[in-house]
Amino acid sequence: MSALLELSGVSVTFDGFRAINNLSFQIGEPELRAIIGPNGAGKTTFMDIVTGKTRPDEGRVIWGDRSVSLLSMSEAQIARAGIGRKFQRPTVFEDQTVADNLMVALKKERGPLSVLFYKPEKSDLERVEELAQEIGLSDHLATQSGILSHGQKQWLEIGMLLAQEPRLLLVDEPAAGMSGEERDHTTEILREAARTRAVVVVEHDMDFVRKLDCKVTVLHEGSVLAEGSLDHVTANQRVIDVYLGR
Amino acid sequence: MSKSFLARNPSVLIFIGALAAFTLSITVMSEAFGVGMVSTSMVKTLGMTLCLCLIALAMDIVWGYCGILSLGHFAFFALGGYMIGMWLMYARTADVVIAAQANAALPPTEQELTDAIAVQIFGVVGGDSFPWMWAFSDSLFAQLLLVVLVPGLLALVFGWLAFRSRVTGVYLSILTQAMTLALSLYLFQNDTGLRGNNGLSGLQNLPGVEAGQDVTSVWFLWASAAALALAYLFCAWMMSGKFGNVVRGIRDDEPRVRFLGYSVEGYKLFVFTVSACIAGIAGALYYPQAGIINPDELAPLASIYLAVWVAIGGRGRLYGAVIGAATVSLLSTWFTGGRAPDVNLGFYTIQWVDWWTVLLGVGFVLVTLFAPKGLGGLVDYIVRKDRA
Repeated sequence: MSALLELSGVSVTFDGFRAINNLSFQIGEPELRAIIGPNGAGKTTFMDIVTGKTRPDEGRVIWGDRSVSLLSMSEAQIARAGIGRKFQRPTVFEDQTVADNLMVALKKERGPLSVLFYKPEKSDLERVEELAQEIGLSDHLATQSGILSHGQKQWLEIGMLLAQEPRLLLVDEPAAGMSGEERDHTTEILREAARTRAVVVVEHDMDFVRKLDCKVTVLHEGSVLAEGSLDHVTANQRVIDVYLGR
Repeated sequence: MSKSFLARNPSVLIFIGALAAFTLSITVMSEAFGVGMVSTSMVKTLGMTLCLCLIALAMDIVWGYCGILSLGHFAFFALGGYMIGMWLMYARTADVVIAAQANAALPPTEQELTDAIAVQIFGVVGGDSFPWMWAFSDSLFAQLLLVVLVPGLLALVFGWLAFRSRVTGVYLSILTQAMTLALSLYLFQNDTGLRGNNGLSGLQNLPGVEAGQDVTSVWFLWASAAALALAYLFCAWMMSGKFGNVVRGIRDDEPRVRFLGYSVEGYKLFVFTVSACIAGIAGALYYPQAGIINPDELAPLASIYLAVWVAIGGRGRLYGAVIGAATVSLLSTWFTGGRAPDVNLGFYTIQWVDWWTVLLGVGFVLVTLFAPKGLGGLVDYIVRKDRA
């Protein structure tokens, strides 16, 4: 399995604080991966680097079959290259309907002029309905997304990511603030998505990670502490020290 | 979704219908074409008000829809005015000069004519030849093109520099203020080629037109109404589809749009430039009705007023911007024109010429506090049937 995304020797310093320290890391395709770690372990910074929000001080970030570097690309270019990101707080366009949200996210031409003259085709409308089905919002297509529940917004955002048809999906704490039932549904959506693409889930919640049932990477102080199945890493003495020592 | 654009946006048809009815009824009541109930100066005021509605529309698409609070839109407005003013002034002066020399013993050469026109126009600032920027001033077509191109190009360059550096929010607003102030101060100089603080004048006289002001004022009323209707149609169309959704997305959550793969800078630049072009057209229609343009028109305050109009009218909805601009600018004309009755409080007399800005300020605060959606938001209360 060749790597879809490869970070090697990446370091970032914010005002003297080393958020990411010589991080090396690989994701294959398809794969479901959970990244766990205590606060300040560099989980979010890792996502910022991959999506182009933060530029690392050193190291390489290599993407895709043609091994292009992501470091010289803008956020929008990286997104178009096939990396989707879900933020911790649900960020959907609250002013717009569920259907509009999904329509904006659909993988289509992104330039201003082609969007200005864009007319939704039948296949696009069908795709939107299909996505709504997948995330359980079929009955809410015409609903203003601002009035959805917290969990529904999370799903809508995941739906928007799926609409982008990314090859790599970065998901930041998808289960935060969700009820048990909503969590199960979220697990289902993520596992389904990971059948055909790489999905990286950053999570705090061990129970949720257990449900995902996938390979786990433990980050600590900006580098990889342990990697393997959840049982494997939780048996690791250093991981126990880091988590319980605090 | 297969319904046509107009069927999905009934407010557009209502607006254009109302605008047509307004323009027709003013025409019927005008001195030149009707019963004479509305004076020519009133027709001009109304025509200019329509131009202000047009620039409010331009402001609304950048601020209300895209979230860019531009406080320099009157720079684009005034540039549009200057561009058409150059032709108006050149052509009329040329007519006058040629008429004056018609009876000369020797017919003047081309060069003598040009020099005579230049002295007529630039004598007031001590010039006797045409500056480079008047190169096309003899061609109406070229100057009409420049009405759109010059503001558009300025917006494109300014926007490219600002948006690329990710200048947003209040910093961008300050930059736009600086832009219009700098341009204003530059134009105040006598040697810039646009007659310094004298500005361009006599613009109400259309070259080659025999008709009087009572007739041309109605022409301009119609032209302004047509431009407003077309721009309204265009803006509503632009903001109704996916493009509008992306632009509103930029206003509400810029990073999200970026991570969806849209080049936010490109969209902002597009909307900003289109808006500047519309502002230029508005200015080109306004100043021939006002008769004079000078660098004062680019004062930073004018652009701030524009933002106040749009906020009072209700940003993020096109008719809101129009309602706000029309209401506030007409009230402003009434209060500052000396026609509003003074209020005698016994110990103090409120003279509206001075107190109008206070009233406007209080109104702005009240609207912000109690009707954040502006006057246009009141329409929501009327059209509440579907939310029962």
